[in-house]
Amino acid sequence: MSATPLNAALPASTTRAAGSGRGASALRHLLFLIAFFGLWEWGSRAGWLDRTLFGQPSEIAHYLWRGFFVRGDLWLELGYTLAGTFISFLLGSVAAIVLGLAFTQWPPLERALDPYLTVINAMPRFALAPLFLLWFGLGLSSKVAMGTSLSFFIVLANTVAGIRGVPQDFLTLSRSLGATPLQLFWKVTLPSAVPVIFSGLRLGLIFSMLGVVGAEIIAAEHGLGQTLAYLQSNFNMDGVMALLFLLAALGMVVVKGMARLERWLLRWQ
Amino acid sequence: MAAISIRDLCVDFGGAVLAVDHVSLEIPSGQFVAIVGPSGCGKTTILNHLTGLLPVQQGQIAIGGEAPRAGSPRVTYTMARDCLFPWRTALQNVCFGMELRGVPLPEREALARRELERVGLGRFADAYPKALSHGMRQRCALARGFCLQSEVLLMDEPFGALDAQTKIQLEDLLLQLWGETKRTVVFITHDLAEAVALADRVVVMSARPGRVVADMAIDLPRPRHVRELQRDPAFLQLYSQVWEQLERGIRLSETQDEGAMA
Repeated sequence: MSATPLNAALPASTTRAAGSGRGASALRHLLFLIAFFGLWEWGSRAGWLDRTLFGQPSEIAHYLWRGFFVRGDLWLELGYTLAGTFISFLLGSVAAIVLGLAFTQWPPLERALDPYLTVINAMPRFALAPLFLLWFGLGLSSKVAMGTSLSFFIVLANTVAGIRGVPQDFLTLSRSLGATPLQLFWKVTLPSAVPVIFSGLRLGLIFSMLGVVGAEIIAAEHGLGQTLAYLQSNFNMDGVMALLFLLAALGMVVVKGMARLERWLLRWQ
Repeated sequence: MAAISIRDLCVDFGGAVLAVDHVSLEIPSGQFVAIVGPSGCGKTTILNHLTGLLPVQQGQIAIGGEAPRAGSPRVTYTMARDCLFPWRTALQNVCFGMELRGVPLPEREALARRELERVGLGRFADAYPKALSHGMRQRCALARGFCLQSEVLLMDEPFGALDAQTKIQLEDLLLQLWGETKRTVVFITHDLAEAVALADRVVVMSARPGRVVADMAIDLPRPRHVRELQRDPAFLQLYSQVWEQLERGIRLSETQDEGAMA
């Protein structure tokens, strides 16, 4: 999960240069994956790998197939996790951007709140899970609370950094041309801060999902995290592996979608 | 009436160090004045006072008879860095000042397109700054400044970051744009050749505290071409005279420092 933001932070030119060899590199990846899963399958069939600990690729695929297309119950769990992720992302990032803007427009507020925010942010957030469960119950609300508490801080930090990072020259020039504070904000400060705010939003989305899935694992009625915990307690390793692949794929889709939106919004970069 | 009048301007930053020491300048309308001096002599400080971004502490400044005020339509400021917004196209950047001043969209786009044509960027109206070279970006910044039609242009080393060849091209462009409209220009530079080639008048300042040590008329005929001027004996003579004055200014403040220490 930590590798994703690093990749995304690569300058655009690097990614574009890599694009020319994309076909060849996709082929290499495909070959590697075939070899990897083939070895795994062969190993578990031959008894080299303990199936109760590692599962077996064909069974994992079978589990996913049944879950989505025979029983269909995974759709519901997926829906819960996605809903939790998006709601907490929305709540966390809107609150963070609003507070971040308030901080930069009115610095005394930041000075007053900063120590408390630092303490809350420093606390291992999952330690709040018991509290959230008591306050919000087993349902979606407690998952949203966890996801929001994680995404909020990362978006806040990036919003403040983005607005602080507006080049002084831009402000001087605009003021000398007679920009009103409102014009300065909408036409200069905000557009200039958007790239940094956006990298915060990208991380915020990942953190939302992390919070939601984590809270589901701890205690829930629905969601992929809950399913994962249930399968693990039943020693259904094929199911556990299937869920892990599913979560990885989900994370990828979410991050790619965000990156695409970002590229479109920031096409001037 | 003088377009710009500065009387006994004194500036200090936090009391201890005097940055600008009793500077007085009368600049008639339509004159191109270059202010030169060693770094830290308060050139940019004076300009910042003219924009109205820094309040006058001591002395008086009047632009067209009024105290300077940030956002006054009389004055346009151009900075050392091109200061184009990366999220706006060349056209949108040129429009920026007019946008702030409430010029309606079709009108400001028409004006901006015309101005981009004049600086030779007509084909690049829809390009983002990342796609433009340094020289093109500074052309764009010139267009932004000139299309505001203000009486006074304040320019703070606008070509300081350019290579020699591009610089000469842009100096010629500036002379051409200025020649068409005859605004009052206050041009800050540390490049003496640039000052002599462009200006009607060169004001030489001493090192900190900034004082006017010389105020020289540059009576070279116009229209001028920067590259040709560089071979002109009259230009070279004026250039060396300005140099002498600048050296005198530096010596002056050095002996003063020694006096203060003794």
